[in-house]
This record gives sequence, structure tokens and C-alpha cells, in this order.
Amino acid sequence: MHTPLPQRRVLRMHMRCAAVFITACLIVSHPGTSACAKVYIDINAPSATRVPIIIPPFQNTGSEPDTHKLSTGMASIISADLEFSGLFQIIDPKLLNEAHLRGVTRNEINWDSLSVVGAEAIVTGVFAISGNRINIEMRLFDAVQGRFIMGKKYSGTVPEYRRISHRFANEVFKELTGAPGMFETGIVFVMQTGGNKELYYCDYDGGNQRRLTTLNSLALSPCVSPDGSRVAFTSYRDGNPDLYVMNLAGGRIEKISSKKGINISPDFSPDGGKIALTLSPKDGNSEIFALDVQRRTLERITDHRATDVSPSWSPDGRQMAFVSSRSGNPQIFINTLADRSVRRVTFGRGNYNTSPAWSPRGDRIAYAGLIDGRFNIHTIAPDGSRYRQLTAGQGNNEDPSWSPDGRYITFSSNRTGRKEIYIMRADGTGQKKITVGSGDKTDPAWAPLPGN
Amino acid sequence: MQQTAKTLMVCLFIAALMGSVACSKKNPPPAAYDTNAGQEMEEADLGAGEFRSPAEIDPALAAIFQNILFGFDQYSLTPQARAILDGIGAWMKNNPAKLVLIEGHTDERGTYEYNLALGDRRANSAKTYLTQLGIDAARIYTISYGEERPVAMGSNEAAWAKNRRGEFKIK
Repeated sequence: MHTPLPQRRVLRMHMRCAAVFITACLIVSHPGTSACAKVYIDINAPSATRVPIIIPPFQNTGSEPDTHKLSTGMASIISADLEFSGLFQIIDPKLLNEAHLRGVTRNEINWDSLSVVGAEAIVTGVFAISGNRINIEMRLFDAVQGRFIMGKKYSGTVPEYRRISHRFANEVFKELTGAPGMFETGIVFVMQTGGNKELYYCDYDGGNQRRLTTLNSLALSPCVSPDGSRVAFTSYRDGNPDLYVMNLAGGRIEKISSKKGINISPDFSPDGGKIALTLSPKDGNSEIFALDVQRRTLERITDHRATDVSPSWSPDGRQMAFVSSRSGNPQIFINTLADRSVRRVTFGRGNYNTSPAWSPRGDRIAYAGLIDGRFNIHTIAPDGSRYRQLTAGQGNNEDPSWSPDGRYITFSSNRTGRKEIYIMRADGTGQKKITVGSGDKTDPAWAPLPGN
Repeated sequence: MQQTAKTLMVCLFIAALMGSVACSKKNPPPAAYDTNAGQEMEEADLGAGEFRSPAEIDPALAAIFQNILFGFDQYSLTPQARAILDGIGAWMKNNPAKLVLIEGHTDERGTYEYNLALGDRRANSAKTYLTQLGIDAARIYTISYGEERPVAMGSNEAAWAKNRRGEFKIK
């Protein structure tokens, strides 16, 4: 049931009555009128206009003081989320008179002042703290028409304010683009701790960084299952580089492959039932295998005397990109699983191309390539066309991993002198460092939100 | 008219070609890729007891068990590496109860997954050479650390050359 409203600007308006409930309550501003209105941005347009949006500091309406600076904290998390998507232009609230920023509901907001700074949408929020608890109300308005679009009430502990802010940013993204947001996803990565390497986890924007493993050994190559529940990785815990699977929530660790030689570079199949990995069954000659996680059976994928390593499934599970030195130096190849036929993807651009990561959308493969002595992130279509370099001129950039929606890429870079984890949009714009603290950080793996 | 006949011939030829391609696709995958390939594979086993560095056991051993060095992205043995392995082989023949672990290492350049595979190749190159000297393969263990355990710090050729190595441990 789409009833187009009169077009007054670049955004098209639709009616939509599928309200989304998570743990929050829906705020209905004007029952029976426009509670289900939805603005639509065509996110697949090559040069979609960025929607100017303003997110003033949230209002503390409770009796307890805002000691954690949640007022600006929550507004800036939502601003950063929407800004990073590349589809929004964040208007600095400081451009407005403070008195004009206090309005929260449709009747309180000073619409004229928003139109002066060019805002086409506004997010407002109020909250009240009670001990360790927080109650938050957030609203999204169409600032051109002065129309309420959507609102949510959240209740949680104070430290959950980051998560709640990301969740509302997802709501805003979904209302305005029709596509699900990924602002609640996370990133698993490896961090050097003393002489060891352990797995760590953080929100996609670097928040809530925490340690996942304490194996007092080398942990390498994390890969997250498509349902976000498990991490596969290599550890030298028992001396040999063996493959382990760990529950992200519970931390239970299970060894699933300990063949003689290397058990490395895992990649979950799209249905989560198999893990592609690299083993070296004979004389150190590494080959790609697919391990059935339940039955523990192995299926050989490659058979070549050259080095084959680093498999990455296509999203339909029918092909696998991998690295092989069969042409003399490491290049990206694709194995079609039905007949095991192999074709080379990277030609003529550098003689050291590794770490393929097949986009969840299927149309591109990201990889790290060495050109002029520097590693950078590149993408190429599976047929070898549409080559594109995404990073340049800033240190070495390696280990690409796609966000579950295929809109963003995380990678590691030593551009500051230390290896850190970065995120960027799939076109290479918006690059930003997300990790903090000492110790080299490498091999990020984008983790879907568990349960999604 | 002649042109039409030619075109027809070409079309028939292409159709025949496509037919044969379509047929070949129905064939099952080659037997080499059987699903039991993994069952022939040995489980990892570094044995009981700890391998120690030769220098730790006896400084004189360090002169025999020198690191062997490799070229960038190479796992073939240099003449110098062969000479060192000849000495190690002789020592192993004289010390038949001793076991040797060969660690394969790489420099920091490149992906660590590829480097783990490369380190495995290097360790196995040395192992193969020792077995060709008549040493029982069961006395030689291998492990790859890829780029994870450098002996020389720094991002320059001098450091990289030292890190592209096979290193030996004894027990």
C-alpha cells in the first residue's frame, strides 16, 4: 500500500505501515495520521544526494545529573553512524541558537530554524537516569514537512547507551533507505599482547572493545559464522597451528582440525555448515579443503603442487576465491565447486595479490595487493573486470573483510606507525581508525549481529 | 550463397561444440577430489617433551644447527643451506636418539596466511633434504610460524633476509 505524497524536494515520500518492534516501544505521535510515513533514499544510485540531518544533544529530563555525558554521547554516536553510511550529511547543531535546539516533539521543534540551516531531517532525544538504569525516547522527523516519522522508547542499563544509540541509528537508516542498518554489528580482530596474539571484539565503530581469548599463544585468522554466533580461528595453543571454533557469547572453545602441518585461514560457508580451510597434507604443500562442521568430514577443493591458501566462499556457496602461486607468484583464483575448474582473476597488476574476500553481494572480491612496495586494498569483479584500488598513499593496508550488507570494508593498516583496524565504505571513502591501545592489531573479521 | 553455406557450417560447428560442453558438464567431478581425502591425513603430533634450541643445550651445537636462509617467496634450498643441512644430517646420524624440529619462518612482507603456508614449505624442504641424506623422517618434525616469530626487527632487506629462515630445535 504505497500512496505517494506530493513531491516537495529530492526525497520521495511513501506510506508504509510495517512498524518494527525490537525491545523498544513505538512512540506514536499522531495516532491515525502519519505515524507510518517513510522517506525513501535510493541507496543504489551512483551519486545519491546526502540527506542533511541534524541531531541536537539529547535532553536530560530526569532529576539525576548526566555524569556520563550521555546527552552529547548518544547524539554523536547516531551522527557518526549515519555519517559513515555516506548517505547523510550531518549538520552541526552548533549552527543553531541553543534555545532552538531544545524542542523534542513536533509542537516544540523550531521548524523555521531547521529550514535556515538546510536540515531535511532531525533526530531528537530525551532521557532520564535512575541509578544504573536509563530510559530514553528518540524521535525522527521530516524537517521539510514538519512531519513525525518514527519514535522509540528504550530502557536499559547506563553502559548500554552505545548499543541503544546504534539500534536507533539502524531504525533511522531503515526508515530513510528501506535497507537494514548494520550499526549494531561488530568486528573480531587479532591483537598482539606481549609475545602472544589474542582475539578481541569491538563494536563496528570501535566501541566496547573487549578480549575474547586468553590462550597465551598465537591466535590468527578469525572468521565469524554468518549467523554471528561462532568464530573460527587458528591457535598454536597445543604447539601446532590447529583450527578452533569458539562461541562468541559463551566463550566455549573447541578444536576442530589438527592435521599435521598447517590448519589455517578458515572461512565459513554461507549456510554456516562448512568451513573452508588450508591444510598441508604432504610435504608442506598447502591445499584448500572444506570441513563439514557437524560430521567433521573433509572434502578436497584444490589439488596442485603450488601453494593454495586463503579461501573465500561466494555468497551462493558455488564458488571459492583463493590465493595460489601456481602462476609463479601469489594471485587470486576462483574454483567453481561443481567441476573444480579453476580460473585466474588478477592479471597484470602486481605480482603479489592475496587475502581475497568475496562481497556478500557477490559482485566484487576485495584483496590485498602489493604494488610499488606497498600493500593496498583493491576490488575486482569475479570475471576480472571493474578493477578498483580503494586505499593509496598511506602505509600498508591489508586483510579486507566485508560488512554483512556489503556496503563497507574493514581492514588493517600501519599508516600511523602501528597496525590498527580501520573501516571504510566499499568505494574507499570514509576511512577511519577504530581501535585504540598499544599492541599491533590485525586481521579484522566483520561479525554480523548474532540472531540476524 | 557460398557465404550462407559457410555461416551455416560455422553455426553447426558451434552448436556441436556447445553440445559437447553441455554433455561434459554432466560428468561427475574427477575422482581425485574424493570426499575421503582427509582420512589419509595424519594428525598433528609434536611428541612429548620440549624441543630446545641447540645453543641452549651446548654452544658447540649452535655452530652445526645454523639457520638456513631463503630468498623472498622462495622455499628452494641455497648451496649454503644444503651445506648446513649436510652438517646437521651427519650429526643426526651420530646421535640416533635425537629428534629435530624444523621451524619455517618468513619475513614480515605479505599476508600471514600465505606466509604460514610458505614457512611450512621451507620447513618441509629442509626435511625432505635430510631424509634424502638417509635420516628417518620419523625423527624430523616440522612447524610453520610464518611471519610471527622474527629474529631481526626492522622493515629493511637486512632484517627480512635474516627472518626468511629455517630454524632448528632438538630433543
